[in-house]
Amino acid sequence: MMWGFRSARTPALAAAVAAFTVLCGLPLAYMLAQAGAAGAAYAVLLLDARQRALLLNTAALGASTAVLATLIGAPLGFALARVPLRFRSVWRVALAAPLLLPPYVIALAWVYLGGSAGLVAAAVGRDVVSAWTYSLPGAVVVLSLVFYPLSMLTTEVALRRIEPRIEEAALTAASPGRVLRTITLPLVTPAVAASALVVFVLAVSEFGVPSLLRVRVFTSEIFTAFAALYDFSRATVLALPLVTLSFVVALLATLLVGDRLLVTRRGGGSASPLAYEGWTRRAAAAASGVMVIALVVPVVVLAREASGVASLAAVIRGSGEAIRTSLALAALGATLVTAVAVWVGYARGRASRRAGAAADVLLIVLFAVPSTVVGVGLIGVWNRPGPLGSVYGTDGMLLLGYLARFLPVAALALAAGVRYVPASHEEAAAVGGAGWWQTMTRIVLPQLRLTAVAAWTIVFILAFGELGTSVLVAPPGESTLPIRIYTMIANAPSAEVAALALLQSGVVLVPLALLACGIAARPGR
Amino acid sequence: MPPFLRVLGVTKRYGSHVAVQDLSLDVSDGESVVLLGPNGCGKTTLLRLIAGLERPDTGEIRLGGRVVARAGRNLRAGRNLVPPHERGLGFVFQDLALWPHLTAREHLDFVTRAAGMSGGERAERARETLALVRIEALAGRRPHELSGGEQQRLALARALVARPRLLLLDEPFSSLDRDLRLALREDVARLQRTLQLPSVYVTHDRDDAQALADRVVEMQGGRVTAEGRT
Repeated sequence: MMWGFRSARTPALAAAVAAFTVLCGLPLAYMLAQAGAAGAAYAVLLLDARQRALLLNTAALGASTAVLATLIGAPLGFALARVPLRFRSVWRVALAAPLLLPPYVIALAWVYLGGSAGLVAAAVGRDVVSAWTYSLPGAVVVLSLVFYPLSMLTTEVALRRIEPRIEEAALTAASPGRVLRTITLPLVTPAVAASALVVFVLAVSEFGVPSLLRVRVFTSEIFTAFAALYDFSRATVLALPLVTLSFVVALLATLLVGDRLLVTRRGGGSASPLAYEGWTRRAAAAASGVMVIALVVPVVVLAREASGVASLAAVIRGSGEAIRTSLALAALGATLVTAVAVWVGYARGRASRRAGAAADVLLIVLFAVPSTVVGVGLIGVWNRPGPLGSVYGTDGMLLLGYLARFLPVAALALAAGVRYVPASHEEAAAVGGAGWWQTMTRIVLPQLRLTAVAAWTIVFILAFGELGTSVLVAPPGESTLPIRIYTMIANAPSAEVAALALLQSGVVLVPLALLACGIAARPGR
Repeated sequence: MPPFLRVLGVTKRYGSHVAVQDLSLDVSDGESVVLLGPNGCGKTTLLRLIAGLERPDTGEIRLGGRVVARAGRNLRAGRNLVPPHERGLGFVFQDLALWPHLTAREHLDFVTRAAGMSGGERAERARETLALVRIEALAGRRPHELSGGEQQRLALARALVARPRLLLLDEPFSSLDRDLRLALREDVARLQRTLQLPSVYVTHDRDDAQALADRVVEMQGGRVTAEGRT
């Protein structure tokens, strides 16, 4: 590398890595150390029948969600990549939308539909489905409807990466169905499997959905241990199996596809559009069906439930503080996360092959740490006398929560962006006499603008819907919109809760709908 | 005897760009035709139209007397368009398009299985074809374990293994060094003589054209500009 050790690069990247270690690594390290210390006393926790059932429930939730989300998402990804659908980009935005909504909002909608006093029960005249709604299969269905876009987008990207001629060569010899089975699917299987593993991790890390649907899993148990029983040691020990599970699965995903999950390379041109044109109608029907179930039904159910509210204005006024706090904190959090992630992403993007692969595993593992585990870890680190304690009890804890949870994923995205900026650009600047700082600000960062905007947007959406960590670390009296909705579920009229959930969804869906309209209006679509 | 391949007044547009314009071409049984022209003159598009990977905007294509493609309002969604795998063609792509997860033998097996051959017949045909292109010892290797020349031979074997009625070659040697190129060109000429297979060979290299063609068709701007026997 052309930058010497004494260049501005060294302190800048050291500071970034140090910040990353403190913000993301420390809470987890603290949890693990505490769990180790408390391990002897609580080891029995991991062995009793109750805990085994918990582990089984958690694993079943993760595995079933991974399978169902893949069964829904992968065919849709194929349709987006290969079937000549009209308004393909609009379909992509609409079908990806559920991933951007907070999962507990979707779960809430299904409760209003299939709960004991839900729309289905009202229509039939008796409760026929609530046993299914409040069950492990119910949680699997809801989580699959939230996470299938991950599988869909990964499958589409993997298919687009295949050189089109490879499929065309097969099409000159065999039918499209056989080509799909024998040539295409084996080539995308590693990427699809990796996305299934990521869905597994996200599902076992989810707190809101199992908690609302009364399914006992580790995340909700950790929350109960900490928030209800005030048993810090129990919470840390309970986190161990979950962290181990996340680590193993994240490692497997990285081994399967390396950095190809994030760094994409398109094949040259596009494959013949004729092969799968006979599938257009079926693909459009499937896409419509999924969109209705995953997006339209929840939104309509929430809207219907919210229509019972006496005064929408009063509800919004009553939660105005929470809405404003949420928007401001999510925007500030996204800005802080992106500001740190740029430098961490640069360090990853320019790392050697081996160090880069290790960093990827670390980043994916840290992203996979369940929200309630992050929350308990943050409290352990920051709730103490002295300067650290001055942050505790302020909104700063929520920002630290966003940084701990979302810095890894933002850093991964920016690292992918950095690798699109050829190292030769920096070399050319260095040869021209520019220092590292000048090269970064004039050459590298301008090329990362779009990636940074994308990362900021993703983090804003995730932070705006964040519940599991926030509910643990939020200062008393203060609350964000997700916390307010979560606490109102138990003690406020459902119409008011639904109105707020709808508002929460609207912040994501309205800009998305505008984006989809913009795409549809573009000439040539 | 009527020509085996007939391309009649075919036009293909991509937006406002006309890739092939009102082009007609006949290829007789056993004849080797070379399409010669600069990059972007429509040679590859014509080959893709013949293979069924693109649909003509005007005109008609016949293979062995059967209409396989005809432009027209009522012919959408493959009703009168014979799909590529039912046209009985062998196609050697410019970038070879070998399947990275299959061995050489599996490449040929994919094609012969799709052609409906029995197990014994498939094994025999694979052995025979790999021998024909002189890579029989490499049957168990995947593409990345083959040299550039061996990969070219595998692509050729894949195109030939089901005994196609017409062979299409899209600049298959363009990325090779000169010695390898000459050797492979000689191999293709030998196979053409042995199999008596009609073929359409796309190139921008006049030496290739001279070595392989019974007839050279020159193209420019999507049209045929000259024709001549070698």
